[in-house]
Amino acid sequence: MAVLHAWRAARVTPLGELHTPPRMTAVLLRLTVQVVLVASLWTGLYAHTGTTAGLTRDQAVTYAVLAVLASRLRELDQYAGRDSVIQHMHYGTIVYWYLRPLPPQRYYALRALGEQLYGFAWALGGYAVALAAGVVEPPRSAAVAGVFALSLLLGQWVLYYIMLVTDQWCFWALRNNAAVMILVFAQNLLSGVYAPLWFFPDWFVTLSAFMPFQATLSVPLSLYIGRIPLSDAAGQLAIQAAWVVILALLTRFLWHRAARRVISQGG
Amino acid sequence: MHAVRIVWRVTRLNFRAQLEYRSEFLLMVAIGAIWQVSVIVFATVLLTRFTGMGGWDSSEVLLIPATRMLAHGLMVLFLGRMFGIGRDIQEGRIDVYLTRPMPVHRQVQLAYFPTNAIGDLTVAAGLMAGALSRSHLDWTAVRISYLIAAIIGGMLLEAALFTALASASLRFPAAEYWARWLEELLGTFGSYPLNVLPKAVGGFLTYALPLAFVAYFPAAVLTGHGHDTGVPYWLAAASPLLGVLVYLASRLLWRRSLAHYAGVNA
Repeated sequence: MAVLHAWRAARVTPLGELHTPPRMTAVLLRLTVQVVLVASLWTGLYAHTGTTAGLTRDQAVTYAVLAVLASRLRELDQYAGRDSVIQHMHYGTIVYWYLRPLPPQRYYALRALGEQLYGFAWALGGYAVALAAGVVEPPRSAAVAGVFALSLLLGQWVLYYIMLVTDQWCFWALRNNAAVMILVFAQNLLSGVYAPLWFFPDWFVTLSAFMPFQATLSVPLSLYIGRIPLSDAAGQLAIQAAWVVILALLTRFLWHRAARRVISQGG
Repeated sequence: MHAVRIVWRVTRLNFRAQLEYRSEFLLMVAIGAIWQVSVIVFATVLLTRFTGMGGWDSSEVLLIPATRMLAHGLMVLFLGRMFGIGRDIQEGRIDVYLTRPMPVHRQVQLAYFPTNAIGDLTVAAGLMAGALSRSHLDWTAVRISYLIAAIIGGMLLEAALFTALASASLRFPAAEYWARWLEELLGTFGSYPLNVLPKAVGGFLTYALPLAFVAYFPAAVLTGHGHDTGVPYWLAAASPLLGVLVYLASRLLWRRSLAHYAGVNA
């Protein structure tokens, strides 16, 4: 029974997407154009350059295209479904999350899981097409593929907690628009979506090592293209796992504190 | 004059309303700034790692993001509320605007004060000052006038693209999805010479999605690369004028779309 309830909660956003074909068409078109543009850009940049920052042209293109595909994993429009935390805080309906037999933290996690699985299907489809078209390189060995898959899983886990923290921020600030925008910026910059972190100055790479963002994308993608060798993978995976634990404890604490701030019908 | 006075009073009220949530206000100013910093970081990283990009030196390339960011900041300040209109349509606010004695377009623009524009414009002005100080060009009155015209033209061209999407949103509210993508494309691909891209891709960003006219072509004309853009020189030089024309066309489209607007549930 619990599995059935979990399934029903997890499929809400994907079902919403599946019932709006124009949005799916838009996603498909956007993803295709973005991949072509990004691959063209990095190919063009490398036209007169050999290896730079330890990356060859093929590695840079593969990294950039995979970064575009990975950005699809959590890019769903929850706002249209009016089930974002900021909307519930604004309309006062957040109280219903606390009146259901399903705890709010579990409901939130299930919704996020459904979204990430749906996004993963898109990313996987895009990856298969890009691989068949020769836009991205295949992993160099089965071991690399396995480590990459594990690292990607941990990275998405970290990303889930980071997004959860910005939503939990609403319980104190009521609004999180700016926080979300700052998060998107930090995530894109410090995880290497704009450009692989290897292109940045050393001080920047060192600084980003102390933050959780590079664990979300830069680490798995660097493992995939071979910029982080397999011999260093264990350490990187351990750091990712450490961020999962730290953020899990933090968000658990915040859920606990947030519950005290929810009042129904004036208290 | 009466209309200007109303616009000014509403804007002042909107600004005070933004101050209601102080931390959100400061964060929004910050986000405008750091959003633009991300463009600078991206451009700087590319310039450092890939020198001589497309045959342009770094001081010339800097003029492209500086022009684009100033144009974008001004667009956000004056004409940027078209961006989130899908939400207004979904929540029925357009229906309310239609009953008031003020043009709907103006009411949309006066819906709230764009706090993030403060940060946008601060960083953009700083980058432009940096780009001009590093430039080896002789900044004559004609060049300066053309640069100002290019910034205004870029602002209008960007506003035209968002107005066209807003017009589509009146019939298909989900079209707002495209606006987010458009902003991302403008930020990512509007900040360096497009001749590094294959011709087909450059053609797409010129004729299908005319972001090359926002900053790349005007900067090419100013820096003497106007003949190497892949389009006739006169067309590249006419970018500011094109911005005005496309904006006027987008307003006509908006008016026509609004005349056929039947409400989100119709």
